[in-house]
Amino acid sequence: MKEDDVEKKSISRRNFLKTAGGAAAIAGLASSGIPMMAGSAQAADALPKKWDETYDVVVIGSGFAGLAAAIEAKNAGASVALLEKMPVHGGNSVINGGDFCAPGTKLQKENGVEDSAELMYKDMMKAGMYLNHPELARTVADNAKDALEWTESYLGCRYVKLNFHGGHSVKRAHGTINQSGSEVVNKEFAKAKEIGVKIMPRTKLVKFLSDKKGRIVGVEVLKGYRFPDDKSGKTAFLKAKKAVVLTSGGFSQDIALRQVHDPRLTDKLGSTNHPGATGEVLLAACASGAMDVQMDWIQLGPWTSPEEKGFGYVPLFCEPLVGYGLMVNPKTGKRFFKETGNRKERADAILLLGNPAIIMGDAYAVNKQVVPHALKGGLGNGAIKKFDSLDDLAKAYDMPVDAFKEQVARWNSFVEKRKDDDLGCMIFKDAKPTLQAPFYAARLWPKVHHTMGGVVINKDAQVIGFNMKPIPGLYAAGEVTGGVHGAVRLGGVAMADCLVFGRIAGKNAAKEKAWS
Amino acid sequence: MERKKNLKIAAVLFGAVLLVIVGTGLWAAPKLAASKAKPGDCAACHVDKKVLPETHSDTKTMDMKACRACHTADNMNLSGKFPAGHTHLLSGVDCAACHGKTQKPEEVPMDKCVTCHGPTAKLAEKTKEVKPTNPHTSPHYGTELDCNLCHKQHAKSENYCAQCHKFNFKVP
Repeated sequence: MKEDDVEKKSISRRNFLKTAGGAAAIAGLASSGIPMMAGSAQAADALPKKWDETYDVVVIGSGFAGLAAAIEAKNAGASVALLEKMPVHGGNSVINGGDFCAPGTKLQKENGVEDSAELMYKDMMKAGMYLNHPELARTVADNAKDALEWTESYLGCRYVKLNFHGGHSVKRAHGTINQSGSEVVNKEFAKAKEIGVKIMPRTKLVKFLSDKKGRIVGVEVLKGYRFPDDKSGKTAFLKAKKAVVLTSGGFSQDIALRQVHDPRLTDKLGSTNHPGATGEVLLAACASGAMDVQMDWIQLGPWTSPEEKGFGYVPLFCEPLVGYGLMVNPKTGKRFFKETGNRKERADAILLLGNPAIIMGDAYAVNKQVVPHALKGGLGNGAIKKFDSLDDLAKAYDMPVDAFKEQVARWNSFVEKRKDDDLGCMIFKDAKPTLQAPFYAARLWPKVHHTMGGVVINKDAQVIGFNMKPIPGLYAAGEVTGGVHGAVRLGGVAMADCLVFGRIAGKNAAKEKAWS
Repeated sequence: MERKKNLKIAAVLFGAVLLVIVGTGLWAAPKLAASKAKPGDCAACHVDKKVLPETHSDTKTMDMKACRACHTADNMNLSGKFPAGHTHLLSGVDCAACHGKTQKPEEVPMDKCVTCHGPTAKLAEKTKEVKPTNPHTSPHYGTELDCNLCHKQHAKSENYCAQCHKFNFKVP
């Protein structure tokens, strides 16, 4: 029974501290002034007398990054356990929009797009306000193409459309065949299962366990955990002979933690993330000596609808329309910010208006750019509206009709000459003036979308501790890490980040020398 | 152990109480089967509270088919009125049919559901007209989201989609 376990465990821990652990701790303190832990000055953890299960590599989280790490570690010969606190795999990756940015690919060549890793790196740095850790951004840009091709050739993923995201110089987002990250994460999941990764849903990390040298040697978990009930589950100790890989994602749904770093992000702001996107694993890593960085750079998505819950359909309507249609303030009927600006610029601009903005496109732009299921879904739930005329559209949103129509005419003149004199929006070469009825529109209000900050890693995906050195036996990849994106993560670069660093973390974790 | 002792003394009563306390899908009702109580004998488990109206006819010898003589899809629909595990038991699917013969019943994998209910693709086809969207397929998991996430056997069923979507599904 559960109570018995708790009782037994606390006794064994006490005994342990009295004997071996305690003695070692004292010896360690006496021998030198250097902290025993790699990352922090805290004492070594009381290790369990008996580990419940043993693996070479333990991966925390089953999104893009975790599954990539698990697959690579397994293929490098390690035995691998993959923990997921939720009842099903995928986290945010399975609700992701399925755009994978990579430079110099076949699909880009087919579309006549010239691109390079250098240009992608420059775009990431510029959007990131140069706060990105350069070697991390460089690693993503340099390896994104290879990672994309790995998902194609090894996992069988299919990318069918080249998309644009605000802040990029060129179209480099490779859209999956089903417009969802599920195309990739489900195929990763199937592959991981096929090659023998031990997948453990409803298993929640409680604590990273370190030995007296500060090496991560295993984890304490709750098995049979039922999110979000913290009283559920049964304690178990998993030994990680080689390494633990931390890929638990961001904390956009952790209202308390996000408010610590950005007090504006109260419960009044929705989030696009799945409900399990909370920060307890990130905090557990910090408690075990991992250093955190840039935690207050929290990204708001500028393309979400206040009428929809979560991510919704409107982002899939808005984002393909930028550079083809207009974004206006309904109070004035006028454009107010360049539609192809990056996420931060646009979200800040909308928040500054104080009211939702309107994104719109005509029949040509919408039929060309918006995938039918997103349009149907948005029209179905009322977040996207369809109008026979610009007058009707203006009236529906209480816009000054004349000012709005004048603005559309002005925009159309910019489209004709492919140059936006007012706000510098990129206008794509196949864009046409907004003339053709019916017209479609949706309201936009930002939601918490991505946490750029997280644990510090180096280019080998090793987690860095407070002594500025890698914590032995601890790797991390994906949204739980910080520094790759600096102030702003560009659209479509999360998949690149997760796949690139997930693979690096998995390979390197498998290469570690086993501690016992 | 406390649990074993109680099993011996008052298996049926204690089982029902535990079911409420633990409140998880892990708890089937092996005590019921062991007690030989008939599935329609509500009071055998629900001792502290009447679950049927005073005027309800005696259910002791009823099975699900008998319930459905009065409770149809359009009239006094039973959907959501009791946990789906009751429907199974009343239809002759006893605890062991899903959990196997064991003293420690474990969570039932989705494969088990599919062996009787048929392939998920077929189910999705059957519900393709449900509004606002088909509940049995999604861009996220296709038709392979675990049945148990929504259709709970020993607790109130749940609309799993609703954690991110405004889909007002009524989950049986």
